[in-house]
Amino acid sequence: MNRREFLAGMSAAGVATLAGSEPRAAEPISQPQPTADTCILLWMAGGMAAPETFDPKRYTPFEVGVPEGRILCTFPSIPTAVDNIRISQGLEHVAQVMDRATLIRSHHVADLGNILHSRHQYHWHTGYVPPQTVACPHIGSWIARVRGPNNPAIPPFINIGQRLEGVGESEELKAFTTAGFFGSEYGPFNLPFPQDAIEAVRPPRGMTRERFETRRERFRELLRQSPLGEMASDYHHESMLRALDNAHRLLSSRERRAFDLTLEPRAIYDRYNTGRFGQGCLLARRLTEAGARFIEVTTEYIPFVHFDTHENGHTTLARMKREIDRPIAQLILDLEARGLLDRTLVVIATEFSRDMIVEGIPGSNARDQSRARSDTMQQMIHYGLHRHFTGSVSVVMFGGGMKRGFLYGETAPERPLIVTRNPVPIRDLHATIFAAMGISPRTSFDIERRPFYATEDGRGQQVQTLFA
Amino acid sequence: MKTLLAFAIASILPAVLFGQETSEPIRILKEKIGHEPKKIDFAHDIAPILKARCAECHTNGKYKGSVSFDTREDLLKSKAVAPGKSAASELVKRITHADTEKRMPPKGAPLDAKQIAFFKAWIDQGAAWEPGFTFKVSAYIAPLNPRRVTLPPGEGHPIDRIVGVYFAKHKIASPGIIDDDAFLRRVYLDLIGLLPAPSEMTAFQLDAAPEADKRATVIRRLLQTENRAYVDHWLAFWNDMLRNDYAGTGYIDGGRKQITAWLYNALAKNKPYDQFTRELISPTAESEGFIKGIKWRGNVNASQVVELQFAQNVSQVFFGANLKCASCHDSFIDHWKLNDAYSLAAVIADKPLELHQCDKATGKFAQPRFLWPELGTIDAKAPKTKRLEQFAALVTHPDNGRYTRTIANRIWQRMMGRGIVHPVDMMANRPWSEDLLDYLAIYLVDQKYDLKKLMEHIATSRAYQARPAFQTKEPIGAEYVFRGPELRRLSAEQFLDAVWMLTRTGPGKAAAPVGLQPFAESVPMERRLIRASLVNADALMRSLGRPNREQVVTTRPDQLTTLQALDLSNGQTLSDLLSRGAASLLKTYTKEDRLIEDAYRRALCRLPSEAELTTARGIVGSPMTNDGVADLLWIVVMLPEFQLIR
Repeated sequence: MNRREFLAGMSAAGVATLAGSEPRAAEPISQPQPTADTCILLWMAGGMAAPETFDPKRYTPFEVGVPEGRILCTFPSIPTAVDNIRISQGLEHVAQVMDRATLIRSHHVADLGNILHSRHQYHWHTGYVPPQTVACPHIGSWIARVRGPNNPAIPPFINIGQRLEGVGESEELKAFTTAGFFGSEYGPFNLPFPQDAIEAVRPPRGMTRERFETRRERFRELLRQSPLGEMASDYHHESMLRALDNAHRLLSSRERRAFDLTLEPRAIYDRYNTGRFGQGCLLARRLTEAGARFIEVTTEYIPFVHFDTHENGHTTLARMKREIDRPIAQLILDLEARGLLDRTLVVIATEFSRDMIVEGIPGSNARDQSRARSDTMQQMIHYGLHRHFTGSVSVVMFGGGMKRGFLYGETAPERPLIVTRNPVPIRDLHATIFAAMGISPRTSFDIERRPFYATEDGRGQQVQTLFA
Repeated sequence: MKTLLAFAIASILPAVLFGQETSEPIRILKEKIGHEPKKIDFAHDIAPILKARCAECHTNGKYKGSVSFDTREDLLKSKAVAPGKSAASELVKRITHADTEKRMPPKGAPLDAKQIAFFKAWIDQGAAWEPGFTFKVSAYIAPLNPRRVTLPPGEGHPIDRIVGVYFAKHKIASPGIIDDDAFLRRVYLDLIGLLPAPSEMTAFQLDAAPEADKRATVIRRLLQTENRAYVDHWLAFWNDMLRNDYAGTGYIDGGRKQITAWLYNALAKNKPYDQFTRELISPTAESEGFIKGIKWRGNVNASQVVELQFAQNVSQVFFGANLKCASCHDSFIDHWKLNDAYSLAAVIADKPLELHQCDKATGKFAQPRFLWPELGTIDAKAPKTKRLEQFAALVTHPDNGRYTRTIANRIWQRMMGRGIVHPVDMMANRPWSEDLLDYLAIYLVDQKYDLKKLMEHIATSRAYQARPAFQTKEPIGAEYVFRGPELRRLSAEQFLDAVWMLTRTGPGKAAAPVGLQPFAESVPMERRLIRASLVNADALMRSLGRPNREQVVTTRPDQLTTLQALDLSNGQTLSDLLSRGAASLLKTYTKEDRLIEDAYRRALCRLPSEAELTTARGIVGSPMTNDGVADLLWIVVMLPEFQLIR
């Protein structure tokens, strides 16, 4: 694969884009210097409880008869590589790399009056609360649109681990897993099963590489022979062939090997392999090395499964932490060992936190959705954080220009566990991610003749103190 | 590359300040509003003050003291503002002047400290302006009433007589018409969304009637006899527009309702468009899904409650008017006001509806009122059903030319690739021919709102049957000159239907909950398939541009993207389809040339040349293999000649 050739192709596409019907940049704006070239979003889908992970509180062990109201969290805390930061038991590997992390305990999300995961996920991923009058782009599409591919042979927005068919609320997930009004050029390259990722960039099953290349040659031959006349000069015609060329280049590039997990040494593969999420982290590392721009790896949202604990939360969280702990730590160490962590921003985030008692925030009219209601602990099924809590959420950032071993924000020591210092709403968190990626939060595009901003109404402000 | 470009653009423009230090105006603002001010937003913070306090004397033709606030350029030219330097700006000096004789604005109370701080901060931050925004009222004002056009003298189709005058005026040689094969392909795809079967191509070629007559016969047959195919095809268009689907956001919890059965029947009966509209707006249980919108559980921004969705959707669909901005505040891009959006919303509201500006309650309550009150009133005291009835009557009012122009323009755009007004949802824009648009709108009324008649009328014109106007780049705005139909890309549904026909595959049953229309006896077997428009969107269809139907969608993207091309190049769905198709073709054909000719005829409506035949023989193999035939099919459907309507 010839990089220069590809760049030429992409730049032609860029020019055509400017002349095309998709939204144009609305207002020329001075973009900040990026501190990261790649962003990996590790998405804890379903609402990861902060008190059970990165913001541990007073621990109350399970005992029959313990009143529900006494429990703030169900795991003891453990020390980390940073003196003033303790996190939850079960995250021992991540604890060891916290000296590379900025931990934000004061993220909070909107209380939308009724907890619907897909709606909060829509808000988090696009920066806008649905419904909206236009189809909003995913944050990955914004980054793809403004920064373009890092290496043209790797799609600029890769989405790992989420099935979009056959899982609950899948229609709602599709609503934000999209480039929206940017058009599918900037849409997600979906890889629901990391182990099968290579399938997405090689000839269809049952077709040899040789046949695939021959087919392409013959296509060009029949194209030359077809009576095109003036049609050849038309922009529709030209853009169609350019898109086919781009796709073919990706399918025959050397970089596509990055998608193939079987090429990873067994020992390293095993270090990551706690399941699909772990494999996803490994895939993200390989793609980052190959030059990805934005990657999301999710634990996968399935209603009432994984982090979406409506009952039996303690046991489920113990399992979830086993699934995420080693691969996240390994990803950070591997990126660092390869000299990539400085320019790669890794973000651990989720749509909201959880609480034993409070649904939404105190005073919210959100309906209680716990499936294991009991005033006192009777069985293990009662023991866990089964309500959706929006009043404080933990976010972890590694690398990409952020401070290391840094703690930001604070939450109350007793219920309600709301933010007590340095609140960071979604738009400011996004502004921070955008700023690291060299994108002003006021970047806007004209859609239906009005400006549409990267952060809500252009009002996001980056949290400057987080930057190293 | 794009990044470089962005930086290049940025570097030649004054940098917008992002400093963290606290400037004087920022400090004042902080005190006034109780928290750190955000970046000043021209649209929300500055424009309303300019409009209320400055516009009367300094915009839109009145420029006292030679100071114009029409555009940012005017403002700079008038030396009223020095971007980045509020202290040095005349505007700031004048609004803060101690001498009441010199202070601006001369009438009314002086600006308050907060407003002044806004201005200072805005100037210090670079005095950004809404791109393209001007206080100057557009020179073109779209008329409301219908207008009966006097046709230019001469013979022939009325559309061609009007277009003929247009061509003469623009010194454009009238484009010749396309040949029969190309015509047949185009008209089938446009009217029923399918490719013609080879038997139909042959019959058409053999038809000895005069050209115009035989074309008119086909057009009529497609619109009448082929009713099933017509409905299946146009269902996708209306589903997009009325944001109707068989699965999707909101159906999960009853916050949204399908209108599929009603819509399908309305199309099958070719319900007159005015009646169609009235049934959507003043609905029965079957058709109420459109105006009910999508209701989300939980709190929703004031501009997105279902009542305002109603206002937005109805005005977009029926008038090509954008009330999305005005749902939040007075629009900065056209003349619609917050009150206009709320007045429409009030028609459907169950309770008194309080106006919210930018999500903040104003204490004022909306009264139901039509966008064009000169057409009539809505009785605020009447019950909701009655109000909707009155509203529906105003939408379809005989004097409401905006309504008929909007649909006539949409149909023209679908058949010609570009609207007479462009884009189709901005009907306030100047049409490239007012005569043509007004003529078509009146024609629809004369034909008792029969959309098929309008389609037939367009399809029988030479303008429709003309050679395509090739464009080296997409024409922007006022540059556009009509030279003939544009090339158009097959929609996701058209692409899949065509591939299914070509490969004799397709879905087993419809997802749309409708009693499917019977096929007429004359319909060839190969065209009797369950169409893509009737099934749920799959990954391939979504990739090819079938939208999530949460918002009104009136046009599809017209260019192929890399990710779409990837799905076409190595996606398993298409690959499996073509492989199965190859197997079925191999059962039908034993001779290579017959198979190749058949594929070319079905896909491209023409026979292969000798050179193409030779190449294709090399592809299918000798003897033919399944892989070889599948490869040929892939190549044929990848050709732009296949993927474009020419």
